[in-house]
Amino acid sequence: MTALTLGFIPLTDCAPLIVAQDRGLFAAEGLDVVLSREASWATIRDKVMVGALDAAHMLAPMALAATAGVGEPAAAMLAPLALAVNGAGVTLSNRLIHALPTGAETPQETAAALAGFIAQRRAGGEPPLTFAVVFPFSMHMYALRYWLASAGVDPDRDVRLVVVPPPRMVEQLRAGQVDGICVGAPWNTVASRGGLGRVVLRTSKFWPAGPDKVLGVTADFARREPRQLQALLRALVRAQAWCDAPENLRELSDLLARPEHVGAEADAIAPAISDELVFHRDGASVPRLEHARWFLEQMRRWNQIGPDVDQGGLAAAVYRPDLALEALQATGLGTAALPAMSPLFDGAAQTA
Amino acid sequence: MRVLVIDPDPARAALVAEGLQGVDPLEVRQAAVFDAEALAGFAPDIIVIACDSADRDILESLREAGETNPRPVVMFADRSEPGLAEQAIRAGVAAYIVDGLAPGRVRSILEVAMTRFSLMQQLRGDLAKAKANLESRKVVDRAKGLLMKERGLDEDGAYKLLRKLAMDKGRPIGAVAADLLAFAGVLKGDAS
Repeated sequence: MTALTLGFIPLTDCAPLIVAQDRGLFAAEGLDVVLSREASWATIRDKVMVGALDAAHMLAPMALAATAGVGEPAAAMLAPLALAVNGAGVTLSNRLIHALPTGAETPQETAAALAGFIAQRRAGGEPPLTFAVVFPFSMHMYALRYWLASAGVDPDRDVRLVVVPPPRMVEQLRAGQVDGICVGAPWNTVASRGGLGRVVLRTSKFWPAGPDKVLGVTADFARREPRQLQALLRALVRAQAWCDAPENLRELSDLLARPEHVGAEADAIAPAISDELVFHRDGASVPRLEHARWFLEQMRRWNQIGPDVDQGGLAAAVYRPDLALEALQATGLGTAALPAMSPLFDGAAQTA
Repeated sequence: MRVLVIDPDPARAALVAEGLQGVDPLEVRQAAVFDAEALAGFAPDIIVIACDSADRDILESLREAGETNPRPVVMFADRSEPGLAEQAIRAGVAAYIVDGLAPGRVRSILEVAMTRFSLMQQLRGDLAKAKANLESRKVVDRAKGLLMKERGLDEDGAYKLLRKLAMDKGRPIGAVAADLLAFAGVLKGDAS
């Protein structure tokens, strides 16, 4: 048996790791896996970098940022598997919801309603609204910025963006320290079930089947241990297929609810699994180059990377759909062709 | 030099802060969470933070936002101090430097923090072992009671029998006692 340590953050989309362990899928591939629950994305990154973790649940743009060495220590990382698509969302506090015109539903409508209120506050000399995201390099950060900017809000000038660890977001929304949060499952559901606010944007509406988390490994690990990596990916794609099956919803929610996993109520975890997250179906586990390209465009747009970064080269070096496809084929879970990439809510088409 | 220690574990934070008092000249402050408002005016030169604190991501964002500029030690330490950042991360300690601090000073502070972290782990380990020993003594007493009742032995005889079983099987006496109690439970139908 080969011993591997895998890190995860308590969020619903860590499910493939938890399920592969719980159902013995790692062991069936000859892997003796230890799961390590981590408290921050920065620690996930550092531990993967120094080899204290062999692989981890990772925010997709983190692998790109770490490889580019922008705002982060440089270490070549790979994303050989997407863990899930969709699942994140923006929840606004009750106070803010009550200040907005009613009836806004689509991403365009909600962005316009919020932009109008932000402009009004700005004209009245009131302090900017505060929104919390989970990490500077995250789908949450880019989705929130893109959505606000689509209605004419300058996210660097008109609002205050702060980083808050996911489990603490709900508290801060309750305490009125932040006006809105952009976070992954289950925290939007936890906040709305707690009567603290309303979800006004889901990333599944922002960009249907849009990216979120990947499995992150160092390029060095992938080079040294190609067979272990494939064994790991086969166990994870089997777990992903299990996570998607509607008949497993109850068991999966209960498993994730445990304090050593996500540590939230099963009833708050189940909705995102049944309605939002896709782990395997329609090629969800393939880290698609279109996703990497979009992240890098956003990083450039918001000045996280300079014009000198070779975006195409970086995307192709980090995102490795070939490795996921190999595991999918080996397990018989592959499909003939990947579905066409959906455009964003504003019609912006994504090409690799 | 000012050092800020952030650790959700107050006992460990106190131990680290106490150890750092020996590094001179130093002003040490400890907090369970990173709260910019509460810490306004302190302006640390180095932040030592437990890897099990979620606040690391807040420190990363300050760097990104350019408000202050706390750079993680992993970003540069290994050029001048090979292996230091890796050792620290493995010990469960991360550090951020706010502005130019001599690498030697970083090492002395991180080494104190790492030593104190492992000291805490050892203390906790010893405590857990002491509790387990106490637990095993209770199990042995119950097994002795069972043997006295079922086999008509006196206390000394019961203990000698347990000790013999343990020696024959090459297992700790507590484990043999626990097995005996479990089997007795099964025979009485507890586990059916």
